[in-house]
Amino acid sequence: MGAGYLTTISDVENMIVRAGIGDRDAFNSLYDATSAKLFGVCLRILNNRAEAEDALQDAFVRIWQKADSYAANGYSPMTWLITLTRNLAIDKLRARKAPARDIDDVPDLRDSGPTPEDAALASSERAQIDTCLDDLEADRSEAVRGAYLEGESYQELADRFGVPLNTMRTWLRRSLLKLKECLSQ
Amino acid sequence: MTGTEDRDDDIALTGEYALHLMDGTERRAFETRLTNEPDLRALLREWDEGLIPLTDGVAAVAPPPYLKSRIETLLFASDAKQATSGWFGGRFGIGHLLAGTLAVLLVVFLLNTQFSSSDPTYMAEIASEDQALVIQASLADTDQLTLARTAGAAVPGRVLELWLIAEGADAPVSLGVLPDDPSVTIEVSEELLALLEGGTLAVSDEPPGGSPTGLPTGAVLAAGQIQTI
Repeated sequence: MGAGYLTTISDVENMIVRAGIGDRDAFNSLYDATSAKLFGVCLRILNNRAEAEDALQDAFVRIWQKADSYAANGYSPMTWLITLTRNLAIDKLRARKAPARDIDDVPDLRDSGPTPEDAALASSERAQIDTCLDDLEADRSEAVRGAYLEGESYQELADRFGVPLNTMRTWLRRSLLKLKECLSQ
Repeated sequence: MTGTEDRDDDIALTGEYALHLMDGTERRAFETRLTNEPDLRALLREWDEGLIPLTDGVAAVAPPPYLKSRIETLLFASDAKQATSGWFGGRFGIGHLLAGTLAVLLVVFLLNTQFSSSDPTYMAEIASEDQALVIQASLADTDQLTLARTAGAAVPGRVLELWLIAEGADAPVSLGVLPDDPSVTIEVSEELLALLEGGTLAVSDEPPGGSPTGLPTGAVLAAGQIQTI
């Protein structure tokens, strides 16, 4: 890559495609360019450094294994990487026998703003998801955020909002329909 | 079962899948459907792309350097030797940059280590191959790293960021962005002081404010091994 410029989305895309044909240098570059963002996502969901490291490791193993199928799936590169990583982190969260939130272990990341690179990579849909969530009742948009960013399960959400599990399920399904309609506009 | 109702069900189901709200059995069943139904995959992609901006506010945090070697070893175990060369063999090519000066420095380094006291001081010449960028670094006092840029500067609109690559480490640690002023003193934390011996200082070209990822994102312009004196 050219010297002295920020890694762009198409750089990341190229790295994934090249990793998909077994290019280790490309995989190495992909790790350098994206691991900090993906580690941030793992920390956010797991709130535990050791588990987040394991999740990031699983993610990059999976990225290497699945990179060859990337080009066909139509995802933008950061969406593909973050979604894959987030799912593995939540798998790990669910696999915990008892909740062992190790909150003191990591700095509080909740209020951190986007880094310059995040801003560069951020899509224009940002406002849209925020606008669409704002259209929902406050506790329902809070539930969607909780599920997405904290990996909260239906049961945890039901406990948090003090409603029966089935009520939470009905709530959220309705909210999801509304949200999707708004996102598609 | 026709039309809108089915479609609504699928929209909600796909959203639940995207949020990772399904239990294991439901999730596996849905994944089987995904394999067979392109429309459902397209719907999931819309969900994933629509939700992803929620991660914009999640701060990037550099993972610990050893993690990269761990992953490389796991994936490329048969070439473990190659994997351990990690960052040095990677795209930044610090190895190359250093090769010329390393031999000379090594002699100096070896000569000096035998005289090293319990309170060592360090110095390094961080230079590009063509000497267009040269920064003299020395640690005279306990934790003050003094830098003097004697040649070169950041290109307009960009900054120079200083990195420490500890001996045997795969990834560099940022020591901060260098100011425009050619002379600067940087306070080095105790943790980093312990890593100076045998380490390398390097300077990379970065956007204003420094690397957003915790690792160099631009070219490594200059490097120099730290000598103990």
